[in-house]
Amino acid sequence: MNFFGFGSGAEIEILLDGADKRKKVEHKISENKSEELSVYYDGETVSGAVSISLKPGGKLEHKGIKIELIGQIEILYDRANQHDFATLTKQLASPGILNQSKVYAFEFPHVEKPYESYFGSNVRLRYSLKVTVGRRLTDLNKELEFVVHTLSTYPDTNTSIKMEVGIEDCLHIEFEYNKQKYHLKDAIIGKIYFLLVRVKIKHMEMHVIKRETTGTGPSVYHDDDTVAKFEIMDGAPVKGESIPIRLFLGGYNLTPSMRDINRKFSVKYFLNLVLIDEEDRRYFKQQEIILWRKGDVPRRQINSAIEESTQRFGA
Amino acid sequence: MGESALPNSEEQERLLDEALQVVKRESFHMKRELDKNKLMDGLKHASDLLKELRTSALTPKNYYELYMAVCDELRHLQIYLTDEFQKGRLVSDLYELVQYAGNIIPRLYLLVTVGVVYIKVKPGSCEAILKDLVEMCRGVQHPLRGLFLRNYLLQCTKNVLPDTCDGEQKGDNGDKGATIQNSIDFILLNFAEMNKLWVRMQHLGHSREKERRERERQELRILVGTNLVRLSQLEAVDVNSYRKIVLNGILEQAVSCRDPIAQEYLMECIIQVFPDEFHLQTLRSFLRACADLHPQVNIRNTIIALIDRLSHFATKDDGTGIPNDVMLFDIFSEQIANIIEVRPQMKLEDVVSMQTALVNLAFNCYPERTDYVDRVLEATVQVFETRNVELVMNGSHLCKEMCELLQVPITIYNNILTILQLQYFAPLYEHLDYQSRKKIAVNMVSNALDHNTVVSSPEETDLFLMLVSPLIQDQADQPADIDEEDFIEEQGLVGRFAHMLYSDDPDQHFQILRKAQSHFAKGGNKRMRFTFPAVVCASYSLTLRFKEQKEEDAAWQKKCQKIFETCRSVINTLCQAEYSELPIRLFLQGALAASELEFENHEAVAYEFISQAFSIYEEEIADSRAQLAAVMLLVSTIEKCKCFSEESHAPLRTQCAHAASRLLKKPDQSRAVAHVAHLFWSGCTQETDKKEMRESRRVVECLKKAIRTANQCMEPAVQLQLFVEILNKYIYFYERGCTGITVDLLNQLIAKIREELGGLESSDCEVIQIHFDNTLRHIQQLVENSKEKDLTNDGEKLFEGILL
Repeated sequence: MNFFGFGSGAEIEILLDGADKRKKVEHKISENKSEELSVYYDGETVSGAVSISLKPGGKLEHKGIKIELIGQIEILYDRANQHDFATLTKQLASPGILNQSKVYAFEFPHVEKPYESYFGSNVRLRYSLKVTVGRRLTDLNKELEFVVHTLSTYPDTNTSIKMEVGIEDCLHIEFEYNKQKYHLKDAIIGKIYFLLVRVKIKHMEMHVIKRETTGTGPSVYHDDDTVAKFEIMDGAPVKGESIPIRLFLGGYNLTPSMRDINRKFSVKYFLNLVLIDEEDRRYFKQQEIILWRKGDVPRRQINSAIEESTQRFGA
Repeated sequence: MGESALPNSEEQERLLDEALQVVKRESFHMKRELDKNKLMDGLKHASDLLKELRTSALTPKNYYELYMAVCDELRHLQIYLTDEFQKGRLVSDLYELVQYAGNIIPRLYLLVTVGVVYIKVKPGSCEAILKDLVEMCRGVQHPLRGLFLRNYLLQCTKNVLPDTCDGEQKGDNGDKGATIQNSIDFILLNFAEMNKLWVRMQHLGHSREKERRERERQELRILVGTNLVRLSQLEAVDVNSYRKIVLNGILEQAVSCRDPIAQEYLMECIIQVFPDEFHLQTLRSFLRACADLHPQVNIRNTIIALIDRLSHFATKDDGTGIPNDVMLFDIFSEQIANIIEVRPQMKLEDVVSMQTALVNLAFNCYPERTDYVDRVLEATVQVFETRNVELVMNGSHLCKEMCELLQVPITIYNNILTILQLQYFAPLYEHLDYQSRKKIAVNMVSNALDHNTVVSSPEETDLFLMLVSPLIQDQADQPADIDEEDFIEEQGLVGRFAHMLYSDDPDQHFQILRKAQSHFAKGGNKRMRFTFPAVVCASYSLTLRFKEQKEEDAAWQKKCQKIFETCRSVINTLCQAEYSELPIRLFLQGALAASELEFENHEAVAYEFISQAFSIYEEEIADSRAQLAAVMLLVSTIEKCKCFSEESHAPLRTQCAHAASRLLKKPDQSRAVAHVAHLFWSGCTQETDKKEMRESRRVVECLKKAIRTANQCMEPAVQLQLFVEILNKYIYFYERGCTGITVDLLNQLIAKIREELGGLESSDCEVIQIHFDNTLRHIQQLVENSKEKDLTNDGEKLFEGILL
């Protein structure tokens, strides 16, 4: 294979500093595949080393070696529409010849990583490190994807959502969710109060819907995905009945809400309250909630676990 | 999946079977995963088997079967979890994890299962978890599924409910431990929710299936009742907390649900599950709640059940009884009055049956307080007035209940005198129709007889006879045709009862009898035949008591005279009523009594009575058989009367002989004449110094005349029978030393009988033959006896020369 005395004999590897201690998450990298990736936060230095291994006695002539940190948004229905919102480059070596394996340290100090990594149905937002060994004919490349989590602080205002809805002379309910903004491990606590029931309700469900919006203006495109389907009531209530809601979010695959990310896309979440009657008619009310990511907390003690897992509205 | 269209039973069985199969399969997988310590996978299968409980297609019965199967499997899970927790393999998020189950039914069953495990291993979590479970179950609003879910909750928490007042189970962080209050709140809330679901079943589906729904609700009621049972099992609930919290909570729910089936069951349930001591202290609240129940609730059953329980409690042998500070009767009395007032639609029969229970209570708890019983009767009378009830028709429910109510004092006291003290017994009883009044009257009279209740004053006699007036005299409302047999039986009782009228003081007794007589006199001809003889006979024996007191009572003779005069007129009334045999007997009995009495005028009275008897005989008795009987009686009576002078006795004797010989039928004549012979033998007069006169000649004359008359009989068997009878008379007098009767005479008669017997077919005269043989054997016996006597006694030999 080595017609030119060099070639694929060189192996490139990107090693991240402190990789063994760094938090890792399972992240989708393609439709059918996920991998454990390292998690970085905004402003964090990304550093490590690039190791180029040569076979014993081999040599590598190159036109320079560089490493890039790339933040990229990809809109799927439009392959051409790939947009790099961040590109940082470090030159690791000037053109020359490598006679033996070599390791180059690199560091991107305090990198701004404004957006959260995201793998949606039509949009992907990825971060990666890419090493390029410049060559005369084809460059040698190596890419390593990593994940960025954007942490938020506790929202300043977080009033409950309370609303009375209904169909005249048919169904009147009042629902109340304890917050408008939930962190990803939060629980939605609420209750449904029945003011008037003239339909025979069979059951009631709570759906969490993720809405991904891409494009702008006339070419705006929505994609709705029901991420959680949760039955909260079985049977027909009567007037005056109050049904508790407690939906833990931690078990579902959720991301923080994203608004107009780089003017390319948005991700919104809705709580959809659905009542189904005996004729399978559906009555629903959708309500946006904001999801945000909270910094990791140490593992809970059982007592606080009980406290959290028995929360009820108004209790 | 409409609620109303449940598949038929075959389809039901198939559906149940399928569901059970799934449960079995999933449970198998669950256990396998748990064995491998794969908790999450195990829970997944648990959730899958629980999904079967989401069905709407099963009847309550079949759903119950399915539920039981599921519970069995969940128990396995619970044991596993408890075990894991205790080994320290604590899954702190488990309570949260099971809440991810998408369907609410599996989610809540799992939550309950896990929650109870938490309580067991972390007692500090008890309060929070109990509260959470009972609240979260609100998510199931489907009645059947909700009832079973909450039943599961109740079953699982059975042994973990805190049952102390001070919360000694301390939490980890020094939290205040859970207390009895948490348990009470928990059960009361669960109860209220279950009751609501149960009541809601009534309003589901089509109205034509009402009956089926009600049946199904009855099948499910025990699920609701279990809450109350659980409450009653909490030992830390004392009377105070029961009154303030528990009972209030239950009653509030029971009253506010406005559902008759639920209310009736719950009230009953309260009575049954909580101890009597609690009931005693909460009577008012309970009864007040009863008044507020739905009009369709048959409150009567509830009240009666409570009364019965407390009555039973009061009479228990352990000596606790009703505490003095509980005015049991007053409370019941006042609350029942209130209930009746606020429930004008309540049926009268139900009102009455409550009162019956109340009477029983009054007696059981306060046996001395007859005034309590009277108060109940009074209240009942007032209800009748308020509701304008005049007459209660026989056969109606009300009538039945009234009879029961009136019967109670009769049976509990077993003393009609106590009944007389009840002011309101009679007014209530007056509302009954004739048949029922009579029935009660019969019961009272029988009761007096059965318990030997002696009525010992004229006033009581008066009252009582008025009370039982349907037996004493014709009633305005009595039917035209009266069952003769019943009538005779009733009057027989009244006749017997006349003997219960008695006073130790003869004068008082006399007054009583006069009073009774005046009542009986209103009874008309058909009753006096039964009642008068009793009074007359009682009067005769009263004369004897006067005589016994003659030392103390100088006026005794006059009193006796008076009694006989009264009796005479009473008997004459009977004569006018065209009873003839009865007056004869009564007169003759009177004559005998007078004869014994030896008061001043006794001979005249006796003579008068006998002559009265004679004249009735002559004027009134037409039937030949009756005539014979009367003659025999007359003869016997005169024979027994020893008070006459010869001057009186002679005409009586003659009269008897005359009457005997004038009987129509020859056999009657023969027998009567033979009987008269006794008069001449053992009759006594003043002249014979009250010794037998023994007029041998007249005796023989009579007997010979009897034989002559017998000879005139055409019927050989009758004739023969008469001969044997006369032979017996011969022997009787012969043995007593009647000289006119000789052995020859006997031999002749014996020979004659023998001869005649030979000429008759044996089948006709078998009885006569036996009689005859017995007679001869008697003689034989006497002969042998006298031979033995011979050895010692030189006396004359009996029957010497008799030819046997």
